[in-house]
Amino acid sequence: MKRRRFLKIILAFLGSVTFFSFFYSLLKFLTALPARTAEAKKLVVLKSEVPSGEAKNIVYQNAPAVLINRPDKGFAAFSRTCTHLGCLVDFSRTRQHFLCPCHAGIFDADGNVVSGPPPKPLTAIPLRIDGDSIIIG
Amino acid sequence: MWTKIRQWIEVRIGLDSLIQTQVADFRIPKNTNILYTLGFLAVIAYATQAFTGIILMVYYVPHPDHAFKSIQDIMTKVPYGWLFREIHTVGGNLMIMIVMLHMLTVFLMGNYKQPRELTWLGGGLLLIITVAFGLSGYLLPWTQLSYWATTVVTSIPTAFPVIGDFVAQILRGGDRVADSTLSRFFALHVSILPPLFLLLTGMHLFFIYRTGISATPFGRRDDEKRPLSAYKRKTHPDGYPYYPVFFQKQMYMTMAYFTIMFFIIAFFPTLYFPEEANLPADPFKTPHDIRPAWYLLAPYQLLKLIPNKFFGVTLQMILVALLLFWPFLDTQKEKNVLKRPVLRGVFLFLLAMWIVLLFWGRT
Amino acid sequence: MRYLITFAMMLFLFPSTGAAGYKQEFEDEFLTKPWAGVQIEENLCISCHASEKMKPEFREITEAWQASWHAQNRISCENCHGGDPKDAAMSMSRQRGFVGSPQFQKVPEFCGKCHIGILSNFLESGHGKALKAGRKAPQCVTCHGSHNIQRASIDIITEQLCAKCHSYERAKLMKQALFLTEKKIAQLEKSLQELKREGVYPEADEKSLFSTQAEFRTLFHTVDVNLVKDRTGEFTARLDQIDKNIQATYRGLKFSKNFAAFLMLTFGGMGVVIFVMTRTKD
Repeated sequence: MKRRRFLKIILAFLGSVTFFSFFYSLLKFLTALPARTAEAKKLVVLKSEVPSGEAKNIVYQNAPAVLINRPDKGFAAFSRTCTHLGCLVDFSRTRQHFLCPCHAGIFDADGNVVSGPPPKPLTAIPLRIDGDSIIIG
Repeated sequence: MWTKIRQWIEVRIGLDSLIQTQVADFRIPKNTNILYTLGFLAVIAYATQAFTGIILMVYYVPHPDHAFKSIQDIMTKVPYGWLFREIHTVGGNLMIMIVMLHMLTVFLMGNYKQPRELTWLGGGLLLIITVAFGLSGYLLPWTQLSYWATTVVTSIPTAFPVIGDFVAQILRGGDRVADSTLSRFFALHVSILPPLFLLLTGMHLFFIYRTGISATPFGRRDDEKRPLSAYKRKTHPDGYPYYPVFFQKQMYMTMAYFTIMFFIIAFFPTLYFPEEANLPADPFKTPHDIRPAWYLLAPYQLLKLIPNKFFGVTLQMILVALLLFWPFLDTQKEKNVLKRPVLRGVFLFLLAMWIVLLFWGRT
Repeated sequence: MRYLITFAMMLFLFPSTGAAGYKQEFEDEFLTKPWAGVQIEENLCISCHASEKMKPEFREITEAWQASWHAQNRISCENCHGGDPKDAAMSMSRQRGFVGSPQFQKVPEFCGKCHIGILSNFLESGHGKALKAGRKAPQCVTCHGSHNIQRASIDIITEQLCAKCHSYERAKLMKQALFLTEKKIAQLEKSLQELKREGVYPEADEKSLFSTQAEFRTLFHTVDVNLVKDRTGEFTARLDQIDKNIQATYRGLKFSKNFAAFLMLTFGGMGVVIFVMTRTKD
C-alpha cells in the first residue's frame, strides 16, 4: 500500500510539472504581442526637407528607409531593402525611380517593380502628415 | 465537497451506474497483448494533432505570400511556437505510423473476420483519411519540398485517360500548384477531413463496442463459431476489468508515445525537415530530387517502376481496394495467422516489398 | 460476395490494357513535368550551340555556362546577349535585342547592364580609366571569365593574374585589406547555411549579409586600398550585428532542445511510474 501511494504521489508530481509546462508555453504563445509600433520611435521629418520630386534617405527602426515626395501623389516612405536579395536601392532624381545597384532591379516612385529580378514591391512604411511635419511609423 | 459534486452529477446523468457498467465491469479478454492499445493511441495522436493544429492556426496565414513567413515567425518569433509546430509535424508522422501498425496487428491477429468486417473497412478508410491529412498538411508550409511534392502527387491522376486532367485540375484548382491549391488544401485539412475523421472514428468505435472485443487467436482457442447466423455481442466474463488493468496499459503506452515524440524533437529536430523544407517555394526552380513523404514512398517507387503509368495507378487502386475489402474475401474460419502458411507467406512478402520499395524510393 | 468484388475489379482492369495506346502520348506529356525528374529546357540558344553541328569552341561555351553561378540563378544567354530563346528565326535578331559578344573595351558596360554599382566603381578606378584610355587594362572577363562565372571570392586575386601587368605588391596589399572582412563574411555564410539545416530560415540576416557583402565587393572594384581600409570599420560593424543575431538564434535553438528533452524526461518518468504501478500488487 505504501508503495502504491508513493508511486501515485510521484505520478501526480510529474503530471503537474508536465501540465504546467504546457500551460505556461501555451499562455506565452497565445499572449505574444507583435512589436508595439505605437511605442516604437516614430520618425518626424519636416516637409521642407524633401522638395517635390526628391527623396531623402532615413533610418527607421534601425533599418535603412527612404522618404519620397512624389510630384503627383505626395509623400511616401519605403524600406530601401531590395526585395530581390537585400541590397539597398537608390532614388534617381532624373529618372524618378528607384534603382538597385546589384542586379538592376527598378522600382517606380510607388515602390512597384518595373523591371529586373525583384519579386515583390518595396515594403511600404505608413506615414501621416501633421501640418508641416511628416510622421513616419 | 467531492461527494457533493458527485451526488449532483449522479442525480442528473446517473454517472455511477455508467462508470460501473462501462468502466469497472467492462471486461477485456485475458489473452490480449500490448498491441491492443494501438487503436487508443491513434485517437490520442489525433487529439494531439487537432489541439496543436488549432493552436498553430492562431498565427499561420494560408496564403502563398505569407505562409512560409508565418511559419518561420512561429518557429523563431512566437514564444514556444517551435514547440507546437514540432509536435504537430512529428506527431503527424507518428500518427501515420501508429495507424499503420494498428492495421498490421489487427490483420495478423485475424480480428477483421466476421462479424467485424465493417470495423476493418472503417479502419481502412481512416487510414486513407490520415494519409490525406498528411498530404494536405504537407503543402501548408509552402516550402520547396511542399510545393514540388504536391506537384508530383497532383500529377498522378493525369495517368487516367479522359478524366485524368480534369481530376488533377480539381485537385489543384488550376494547371499548377498555386494559391488556389493552398486554399483548398487548407480547407480540406482543417474543416473537411476532421469531421470525416471523427465520424468514421465514432462508427469504428461503435462497431467495436457493439460486436465486442475480439480475443487474439494466440494461446487460446477462439470460440466464436463462424459463420455467425445471429447477432451476439462478444463478452468476456472471465476477462480483466477495463479499469485499472487495461486502462493503465493504455496510459503508459500514451506516455511512451509522447516520450518518443519529445525524444525526436529534442535530439533529431530535423528528422522530418530535409534541406528543401527550409526554403520558400520557388515555382521556377525544381530541387534535384523531389520525393513524397516516407509514407508514400513505396507507392511512388512502384509507380516509377511500372512503365505504363495508367496501369501503375490502376494497380495501386486495386491493391487499396483489396486491402479495404479483405474481410469480405477472406472467409476462412481460422484466425490464427501462424496456422495459415499461405496467407502468412503472402503477407510477409508484401510487407517486405513495401519496405524494399520504401528504401529504394529514398535514393 | 467475393466473386462480385473480384468481377468488379477485373472490369476495372480491362480498360487499362486498352490504354496501351496512350502510353507514348502521355509519357511525352510527363517528361516535361518535374514528376519524371529531368525537365526539358526550352532554350533554343542552348539547343543549337550545344549540338553536334557546332564547332567545339561553341559547344564548350554552353558547358561552361551550365557550370556557372549565373546558370544556377536562371540567368541564361538572352539576359546578357539579347535575342529570343524561344523563336529560332529571331533567336539572334537585332530586333529582339541581340547584341552579340561585346568588344574588349565595351565589356564593362555589357556586364554593367545588371551590375550597375560595380560598373560605376570600376570606371572610376585606375583599371577602368586605363581601359577607356586604350591602354593595357583588365576588364570583367579578365578576372571573372566570360561564361563559367563563379561566385566572387577573394581567391580570384592571385599573383598569376595581377602580375601580368604590374608587380603583385599592390594586389597583395589589397588582398590583405580585404582578407579579414572576407573571412568574416565566409564564416557568417556558413553559419546561415547551418541554421537553415537546423530548420530556421533567417531571411532578414541573409538579406543583410548579402547587401553588406555586395557593397563591400563592389567597393573593391575601385582598387583603392585606402578607401577599402577606411570603410572596413563600417562593414565590420554591420557584420558584427548580423553575427549577434545569429548567435541569439543558436541560443534559442539550444533552449528548444533542452526544453524538449525536459518534456521527454517527464513523460518517460510518468510512463515508468505507471508501468511500475501495474506490477504493484494491491
